[in-house]
Amino acid sequence: MAESVSYTEKLKAWNRKEVEKIGEKAPVTTPYPFIDIEKPPEYRGIPHINPEKCVGCGACVNACPPDALIMEWDKEHGVKRLTYNAARCIRCARCIEVCPTGAMEPTTRFEIATNSKEDLVEVVEHRLAYCEECGEYLDFTERQIEYVKNILPKEIFDMYALEDRMKLTQDAKMRVTVEKLRELEGVEYPAYLLAKRGDE
Amino acid sequence: MSKSAFEVEVECECEACEKGKCDSADLVDVLSEREGLKEFYEEFKDSIHECRRLTYGQYLFVIDRDVLPEATLWWHNHPRFKETHMSTAVGTDERAIAGKFSYMPLINVQVEAENMDRNFWVLLKAYMPADDPSFPSVAAKLPAALWIEREVKDLLGFRPIGHPDPRRLILPEDWPEGVYPLRKDMDYRHSPMREPETEFREPPEGTTTVPMGPFHMGIEEPAHFRLFVKGEEIVDVDYRGFYSHRGIEKVGEGRLTYNQVLFLAERICGICGYQHSVSYAMAVERLADVDIPDRARYIRTLMLELERIHNHLLWVGIAAHMVGFDTGFMHAWRIREPVMWLVERLTGNRKQYGMNIVGGVRRDILDYRKEEILKVVKEIREGTKKFLDIALNTNTFIKRAEGVGILPYKIAKAYSVLGPTARASGRRIDARLDQATKTAMAYNEVDFKVPVYKEGDVLARVLVRMDELFESLWIVEQLIDQMPGGDIMVPIGKLPEYAEALGFTEAHRGEVLHYVMTGEKNKVYRWKVRAPTYNNLPAIPDMLRGYNVADAPLIIASIDPCYSCTERVQFVDVRTGRVRVLTEAEFNELSIKNRGVF
Amino acid sequence: MYESLALKIAGIIVMVLLPPYLDGIARRVKARIQYRRGPPLAQTWYDLRKLFAIPTVLPTKSWMFKAAPYLALASALAAALLLPYGGHVPVNFGYNIIVFFYVVAMVSVFVMLGGFSVQNAFSHLGSAREMTLLLTVEPILAVVYGVFAYNSGSLNLYHIMTHLHLSASLLFAYIILGYALYVESGFVPFDVAEAEQEVIGGPLAEYSGRLLGVFYYAIYIKRFALLWFFVSMVTYPIVGPVHGLAKSVGLFALQLLLTFALYPIIAALEATNARLRIDHIVRTNVKIFFIGLGILAMAFMGW
Repeated sequence: MAESVSYTEKLKAWNRKEVEKIGEKAPVTTPYPFIDIEKPPEYRGIPHINPEKCVGCGACVNACPPDALIMEWDKEHGVKRLTYNAARCIRCARCIEVCPTGAMEPTTRFEIATNSKEDLVEVVEHRLAYCEECGEYLDFTERQIEYVKNILPKEIFDMYALEDRMKLTQDAKMRVTVEKLRELEGVEYPAYLLAKRGDE
Repeated sequence: MSKSAFEVEVECECEACEKGKCDSADLVDVLSEREGLKEFYEEFKDSIHECRRLTYGQYLFVIDRDVLPEATLWWHNHPRFKETHMSTAVGTDERAIAGKFSYMPLINVQVEAENMDRNFWVLLKAYMPADDPSFPSVAAKLPAALWIEREVKDLLGFRPIGHPDPRRLILPEDWPEGVYPLRKDMDYRHSPMREPETEFREPPEGTTTVPMGPFHMGIEEPAHFRLFVKGEEIVDVDYRGFYSHRGIEKVGEGRLTYNQVLFLAERICGICGYQHSVSYAMAVERLADVDIPDRARYIRTLMLELERIHNHLLWVGIAAHMVGFDTGFMHAWRIREPVMWLVERLTGNRKQYGMNIVGGVRRDILDYRKEEILKVVKEIREGTKKFLDIALNTNTFIKRAEGVGILPYKIAKAYSVLGPTARASGRRIDARLDQATKTAMAYNEVDFKVPVYKEGDVLARVLVRMDELFESLWIVEQLIDQMPGGDIMVPIGKLPEYAEALGFTEAHRGEVLHYVMTGEKNKVYRWKVRAPTYNNLPAIPDMLRGYNVADAPLIIASIDPCYSCTERVQFVDVRTGRVRVLTEAEFNELSIKNRGVF
Repeated sequence: MYESLALKIAGIIVMVLLPPYLDGIARRVKARIQYRRGPPLAQTWYDLRKLFAIPTVLPTKSWMFKAAPYLALASALAAALLLPYGGHVPVNFGYNIIVFFYVVAMVSVFVMLGGFSVQNAFSHLGSAREMTLLLTVEPILAVVYGVFAYNSGSLNLYHIMTHLHLSASLLFAYIILGYALYVESGFVPFDVAEAEQEVIGGPLAEYSGRLLGVFYYAIYIKRFALLWFFVSMVTYPIVGPVHGLAKSVGLFALQLLLTFALYPIIAALEATNARLRIDHIVRTNVKIFFIGLGILAMAFMGW
């Protein structure tokens, strides 16, 4: 996106091959399936997930009208799975608009016919953050945590304190807080707050 | 939220009035805003429970269900408002909110042609108790209500008392009795079945049935016309449709957020998709009371007109194809192609532009594109002129189109026929100028004429459309010229709950109407779509009667029918005085039984 | 002797192989008029080959349904066999213009019978139209043939062609012959019987696969025969009876050339017209029939 000026230039420079023919008397049709057709750079083709940029936040899943993007949690294996199915996609490009990291990349691809449905599916698996304290996986991914760390204004937050807490489950967070408060203030908090989840 | 000049006067609202004697000043204000409202109020004083302005130019009256026919006909037959018509009606399951069902005819009142500040919409809402959802039918006196009353009967289980033909319209034959898909207690995934059973009429004495459809070359989509013929002459017609129902309204109400519905709305029709998209966006913007930026209005109008241009070219191609004039077909589509290429570059797709978002548009029109647009406009104008010159000088083509499929003005008005079909029969209606489109589109700021022809035949429909095409080209040029700068969208946060409003555009087939009622959590509680073909199709039998079988495809094509948009809710049949339905099996049986034309 | 045999065989080869190619030319010409690229010239052959390979779905037990396409093909071939190829007629006998008249009509009759053998309203409608067309165009042809026969004093095709003498009535007869043959061939705007958008293929609506292929083939050959007949009617009176191999081959080449030249013109006419309605056609045909009668009277008067 750094070259946004030249992008406009690129748009200006692009010309449709067929346009010249339409003026002439010659046939205006093209032997289409036997030749490649180039789509203009503005064309909204099927999007593509860039796994390097994706953090697994699921913003695209919320925006997608036809459920072409689906998010699944596999807590057992510690995996969050983002599935994109081009067969359901209506190419509205809402996912591209809402993606906070630019991981949803627009393409000008439009021919998605294939012999196998699996060719239409893109899957990105993210490792879920793991809570050392209680041995459980969190709802969000490691990358999400990294991403949040990067965008939080450092002047406001005490990064070291955050570092400790971020990778904890809600339960563990509460427990840690209570423990800390106990240590610091000697206040008696009800014991059930300290009980580990599996203990009862 | 900033309010532009025309919004200021919309401030006051008359909320619920006591029955019969609403003497608050607000009511007087509301009633004096438009011509005819006071008159109506005086006439039906005892039956009006509530009246309020939904938004600019949309007035809701809550009335007793007993006076529904009188009230509807009062507007429809008003001697001064000549082109007033009943656009459609909405049935809603409001048991979750009000504990009642509601049925609401929507009336497009035309005080003065092409004056969007004097014309208005009247919504006549009648509540019905949950245990007795019935209302007196108006269909016997007003054919425009025939389909919609049967639709609410099928989908919501209402009982139109005195309906001349209370048979199944929308639901398929294998749908069980007593299951009403649009009631809120039915899940949108539920799909019950039963053994198919149908009712259909015997052909008139001495005729043969020619089944046109459900699959027929002359009809692009599944629809079933049964022509009762004597020799080649059509004696009577029978229609069975709604084969391509997709349950869009139910999905829109069940699952999606208001911005997701927009994309579904765009996919109601493959041809006038943007019209539906704008209509829906307009409805939501009206109920949220948001003004969209001027630039967005202009871009919307530009895209709407480009869509109209290529759709009219598409249609004239189809019409030529219907009479075997394939050269005209190919050339019309050749002329059309540059528009498709242009919109592909402007929006990112040839069709289903995906340009809209509630509150504005998603893509800006880059300034250097203006030249390109003007170039295409020029090309189209020249190409179309040349094409018309050839087509209208092809003797065989004119011979087929002239004096065929005549739709008289009276029938056009009775069925509320819309768009070019109506204008070819002398009705002076065009939702672009007649109703307040200025909140979502910029038609009030451009100059154009609405062509009207009196002949009412297929040729007149061709000519109306072609005149309109040239007007559209002229509109596009003006829009490019006047395009203001600024933002292209305003964000909309939370929608008000249980607010309702109408959105409408004039598609190339006629007025598209969307009614939206919001629910909780930014969802849509009730979404009603009325595609123009829904009103035009019932008039087809009247156009067909007395002409040849050979003319049938051309006459049917001449209203530019779009079955899928019409059938966003499930199964139809047209009435011609009597109505009937037919299944696949019976259709096969029939074609075997009725052998020999001569 | 051998040259006669050779030319007859050449004629048979032409009548069997050429018609689909002629259709290919028409498709190409139409495509160009419509600014399309158009299919390859052999496309009609590819279509037929594909159809021949597909089994037919039989909607009825009627034997007529199965026999009609082959009978139509036989009639079309018979018509083509009666025409001269380079001055040699494969099957030549006495009064064969009457036979020619009948076998050409028989193609339409078998198409009709095929259409009537199934219980399909469109088939019946299309067949009825075919019949109307046949009933109105055949009298015109009969009258025109009458003019030719009277003019040449013979009922033998080859003899007629070589013994015509110029007169006013003959020139008019040629014009009407051209029109009648065009209508008989069922080109647009006279393709009402098979009109796809109206009666979805008419009599052919229920046909599929091999039988449909045979029908198409028969119709192409019929169109070829009618065109070849017209071309022969134009060339032979001018060239006169020929003897010798070189001249015969030259004449044969001339016939081919004219056929190739006329077919694109027909295609152009097809492409620039909309389909007429059957009542339009009937009215025109009746008018032309009476004009034909007038010309016949002229011929009798010796003009």
